[in-house]
Amino acid sequence: MAEAAIAAKAVEMVFRTGSVETRVLKGIDLTVSAGEIRLLMGPSGSGKTTLLSILAGILTPTGGRVNLLGQEITGLSRRQLARFRRRHIGFIFQDFNLFPALTAAENIELALKIKQRSTAEAKRLAAEYLEQVGLADRARHLPKDLSGGQKQRVAIARALAGSPKILMADEPTAALDSKTGQTVVALIQNLAKEKGCTVLMVTHDPRITDAADRITHLEDGLISHSSSWQTREVGGNGVIG
Amino acid sequence: MVSLARKNLLKDLPRFLVAQAGIMFAVSLVTIQTGILRGFTESTTLLIEDSATDIWVTSENFVNFELTEPIPYLELAQARQVEGVRRAEALLIGSGRWYSDEGKLTTLRIFGFDPEGQLFRPGEVSAASLEALNQPYTAIIDQSNQRAFGIDQVGDTARIRSLPVEVVSITEETQSLVSSKFVFASLKNANAYVNAGFSAELTCQLGDNGLNCQNAYERAPETGAEALPAPGPLEADVPITYILIRAEPGTDIPALKQRLEDTITGTRALTQAELVEETRAYWQERTGIGFILGLGAVVGILVGIVIVAQILYTSVSEHLKEFGTLKAMGAPDRMIYGVIVEQALWMAVIGYIPGISLCWGLSTWTLASQGIIILITPVSAAGVFGITVAMCLGSAFFAIQKVTRVDPGIVFKA
Repeated sequence: MAEAAIAAKAVEMVFRTGSVETRVLKGIDLTVSAGEIRLLMGPSGSGKTTLLSILAGILTPTGGRVNLLGQEITGLSRRQLARFRRRHIGFIFQDFNLFPALTAAENIELALKIKQRSTAEAKRLAAEYLEQVGLADRARHLPKDLSGGQKQRVAIARALAGSPKILMADEPTAALDSKTGQTVVALIQNLAKEKGCTVLMVTHDPRITDAADRITHLEDGLISHSSSWQTREVGGNGVIG
Repeated sequence: MVSLARKNLLKDLPRFLVAQAGIMFAVSLVTIQTGILRGFTESTTLLIEDSATDIWVTSENFVNFELTEPIPYLELAQARQVEGVRRAEALLIGSGRWYSDEGKLTTLRIFGFDPEGQLFRPGEVSAASLEALNQPYTAIIDQSNQRAFGIDQVGDTARIRSLPVEVVSITEETQSLVSSKFVFASLKNANAYVNAGFSAELTCQLGDNGLNCQNAYERAPETGAEALPAPGPLEADVPITYILIRAEPGTDIPALKQRLEDTITGTRALTQAELVEETRAYWQERTGIGFILGLGAVVGILVGIVIVAQILYTSVSEHLKEFGTLKAMGAPDRMIYGVIVEQALWMAVIGYIPGISLCWGLSTWTLASQGIIILITPVSAAGVFGITVAMCLGSAFFAIQKVTRVDPGIVFKA
């Protein structure tokens, strides 16, 4: 069995607003193997995005431990977490989160600048990754001049250009039509496999489950069940898990 | 490498230009307020600095250049006898009223000096103009006062009190912003103008209730220059305001000051630098004018900070999700703060250049048309640039506080 890239143990998250406490995560145990594509699914309010934020080192859990790539991250300082994310994690967002003032190429160059790559290398890699996502001819376009699918492809190129070991994607197809969504997910799948990247993807979209090696279902802050590709194929009833 | 700060600023050009107009306004406000303060302060000592005088002797009750008590003219002769004095000349400062040919009244400050002397100069005037001052009832005025005096050109006439005056030359950059309009004349003419206008007659009668006195003032009749006798030389008891001294080369100036004060009792001797310093200090510290203009400059800086802070804060608020994305991607704090600081510096530079250019144009216009000095020197321009940069960086500090508190988790919120 492959080594775990992501390991969460008894992760809890409680949000406090005044005297009101909301337990969003109630003790999550989760292991994602290196190179695996894992989907996190569940109804709205089940805690998917909160779990993703915790596993990405953006949010600190109120209980439990998180280990990424063999390193315990729960006790790291804000600065150490930022350094960890910079080195090892790529992000894809539902709203693309491209910088509107920068061209497609510049968006990728900026991400590489954060990873302290030289200007020349950043320019070379930006061109290379735009080529890989089929947008070489859109390098000098601003995000406003790109379609939703093209924006998400730039975001994928930006996330992967720094060669991260883990890719965190939050609803990457939510703002896209069905066909574009499937194209984008196929692109994530192919590029992630090619680069040996572990993918953790939050989604509501049942049409992209085929891209996953394994699916974890959350409900009311708990994992209700998990299923592998093999399980689904054996079950064959189209119901996840 | 791409500059996110610059690109963010230029993304929405009309909005950027409106923001820059705000900074330009702040720069202009600071420049004009500080320029007026400096211009006003320096305008009070222009004549002192134009003179070639080592020591100014005046009454011991001296307050500032234009506010001092008179000393008798005869003390000029005493000063000339003091060891170390190479040259001594009299300067008479008085006030009066100027009546233009249309009858428009303006108060004036008249400076009487020796046109053939070397120590006092009313700005840059030709030898011919100085020679012309030796004619009876002639004067030089400052260009900035032409309109107020109703004078279009050299040769125009008017009246000072009841006496005629012909303008023989027009000088510039002599007028103090806080004084009446300056007029320059020979000592003889100035003395005549200062004392012209009214004659007083005191009549006393001894009655049942003691001595009854009546003081009657009579306005002198207006007469043309040709019908008037030329003003005579100053008599020994005529009050003058300063004795200007040039020392022999190599003379110990503090020692000479002391000798002058000892010889001419009831006087105070000041070097040119001391007179400048005390006059400026008086206007800046002892009157409300310096305080108000200083306050204006401080308000200008505060308004500038508020404008820039508002612009930067709005800009940061609009791009908050972008900053959150940078944080999520692991960008170090110094990089994020660098974006804001760079943005602030660009705003400072791009707001400063048109702002200072506008002020420079404005100062040229006000000097030429109103005689008001808005002093912008390379040093003060550099100072305003420093203030602008500090203002923008200070404002960036508030924006940085907002970014520091950004939860990178916002990147996952649609």
